[in-house]
Amino acid sequence: MLSTLHHPPRRLSRFFPANNKPRHFHTKPVLSSSQPVTDQSPSSTSPPESQILSIRHSLLSREVTATQLAETYLSRLKLAEPQLKSFIHVSNNVLKEAQSIDDKIKRNENVGPLAGVLVGVKDNICTVDMPSTAGSRVLENYRPPFDATAVKKVKEFDGIVVGKTNLDEFGMGSTTESSSFQVTANPWDISRVPGGSSGGSAAAVSARQCVVSLGSDTGGSVRQPASFCGVVGLKPTYGRVSRYGLIAYASSLDVIGCFGSSVADTGILLSAISGHDRLDATSSKQEVPDFTSQLISAALLESKPLKGLKVGVIRETLENGVDSGVKSTVLGAVSHLEELGCTLSEVSLPSFSLGLPAYYILASSESSSNLSRYDGVRYGNQAAAEDLNALYGDSRAKGFGSEVKMRILMGTYALSAGYYDAYYKRAQQVRTLIQKSFKTALDENDILISPAAPSAAYKIGEKKNDPLAMYSGDIMTVNVNLAGLPALVLPCGFVEGGPIGLPVGLQMIGAAFDEGKLLKVGHIFEQTLQGCRFVPPLIADGIPQ
Amino acid sequence: MPTRYYYYDYDYNNRTRNCSTTTTRSSLEPPDVPRLAQTARISLTPHEVEEFAPKIRQVIDWFGQLQDVDLDSVDPALRADSETGYLREDIPKTFKNRESMIAAVPSYDEPYIKVPKVLNKE
Repeated sequence: MLSTLHHPPRRLSRFFPANNKPRHFHTKPVLSSSQPVTDQSPSSTSPPESQILSIRHSLLSREVTATQLAETYLSRLKLAEPQLKSFIHVSNNVLKEAQSIDDKIKRNENVGPLAGVLVGVKDNICTVDMPSTAGSRVLENYRPPFDATAVKKVKEFDGIVVGKTNLDEFGMGSTTESSSFQVTANPWDISRVPGGSSGGSAAAVSARQCVVSLGSDTGGSVRQPASFCGVVGLKPTYGRVSRYGLIAYASSLDVIGCFGSSVADTGILLSAISGHDRLDATSSKQEVPDFTSQLISAALLESKPLKGLKVGVIRETLENGVDSGVKSTVLGAVSHLEELGCTLSEVSLPSFSLGLPAYYILASSESSSNLSRYDGVRYGNQAAAEDLNALYGDSRAKGFGSEVKMRILMGTYALSAGYYDAYYKRAQQVRTLIQKSFKTALDENDILISPAAPSAAYKIGEKKNDPLAMYSGDIMTVNVNLAGLPALVLPCGFVEGGPIGLPVGLQMIGAAFDEGKLLKVGHIFEQTLQGCRFVPPLIADGIPQ
Repeated sequence: MPTRYYYYDYDYNNRTRNCSTTTTRSSLEPPDVPRLAQTARISLTPHEVEEFAPKIRQVIDWFGQLQDVDLDSVDPALRADSETGYLREDIPKTFKNRESMIAAVPSYDEPYIKVPKVLNKE
């Protein structure tokens, strides 16, 4: 069972069947005194529990109803929203959906593995019953005619979509400052950014406004905000999760990812949304293993549970330009992994630093093509115009923010006749070099580790006017997207800053489709980490549990 | 709109152009922001042109560092994965929620999507 030392151990197997049809799962109620799901006793530094499993247990043992849980989360959401602004839209149907789960339980019907779980969805992922804006005025009030496949699966498993979270417009940014609607604050210090582009999704989970959330990761947009907000973020292998319904930014790099307050919850959400989809031609037919069946209770772990695991520390990520506080926190994580029995070595990834310009060339080029569909004709905001070109030009000028416009223009330049070879093609060649260097490193190591970002969360407004300064923050994350590999970020320590310190995330990178190994290692790391409690001050003080 | 090139084995050598792949940054024309805006169909204000031009130039210059890397005999990688050949049956299915798609159209005059006239001068 995915529990702390307080609960009797239970083995969780076949939680999600390999054929990925929703299967209904029964738990035997635990007879000993169980902790209420929202217990965050300030004195405890025990490792995080799976909230999804706690909720399931509480619902099936009739300790609490889905409606009561939903009300608790909604009131916490509303209380924190004026300061945090994580949500662009909050659903009107939450209590109704919770009630229908309660009705099913009353009738002793089976409920899905995500029953009663409130899920935040990044606003670039289409939801049929709520607006989906991608953080842009060009899609303000746009209602898609379909749910994204990932959302459809969450609903099939009885998850409740609580609302659409804030993001940098079309995913272009690392702070949510380029959202056309609002800037999200970091629950650890509301004068700081939550990271981006999935800043709203990360902040919402960090502040316990929802249980888990979906984000998207093109160059680090799940992993960097996970690090800044002190939550777990997972970027799956390219092709693991269907992109159908994800508003495209850079099609060869985009993936949908998961946030949770524990590795277990992140893994359960990943299991729910993974799998081949005939509606996404790039989605993989590789079988989806049961990611959570290997997550063992900390009580059952032997003394060196990761004995034999080869871990490569990426040398280029601990060199100049990385905050000394981040470096020492990550080196602390290295010691922790050694204590768990890992064999650590340093690896060098040649061409590492070329990944950043290569990424930005590929991403802006692909985005200039993907965003050409926003022409004001078939959907979105339309400007009044006398002729067609002015309709296009004015609708796009009024609808797009500055960062998006600049990236489209850069991409247009890089793809222009005469420049394609100099930029786009060379960037694709660099991508080959990076893929090869990761493959070599992962042939010799089980996982690779690095910080998720060169610093902890910085102040709102600090990097807004300097594009290169903002882009340089992505150095730890973009190469993973270029190679299409999976990566998990989990909080591993703190640096100074804010009222009680700022969280720092450790990034673990795995071989393609090896999310199971990342989750297993991440879970053991998290459950054995002493003395750290990753609950932000916005929750610990004042806001009722 | 510039042609989008998706196939890496397209023959570029026979196109007339001013630069080769090994050229240094300096002989590539710097970005002409108003012209790019016209190509991308975004009506920029003069203030925006003034604000964006230095930033775009700075980023494009930074892109230029890829010119200094030896990439001869490296194949371009089209995307991350190597799985190919997933084709589905060519059987049309009717999309169920047509009303919602039509409701999203800004100017609809059944059964036409309305646009203003197209003028043919550039």
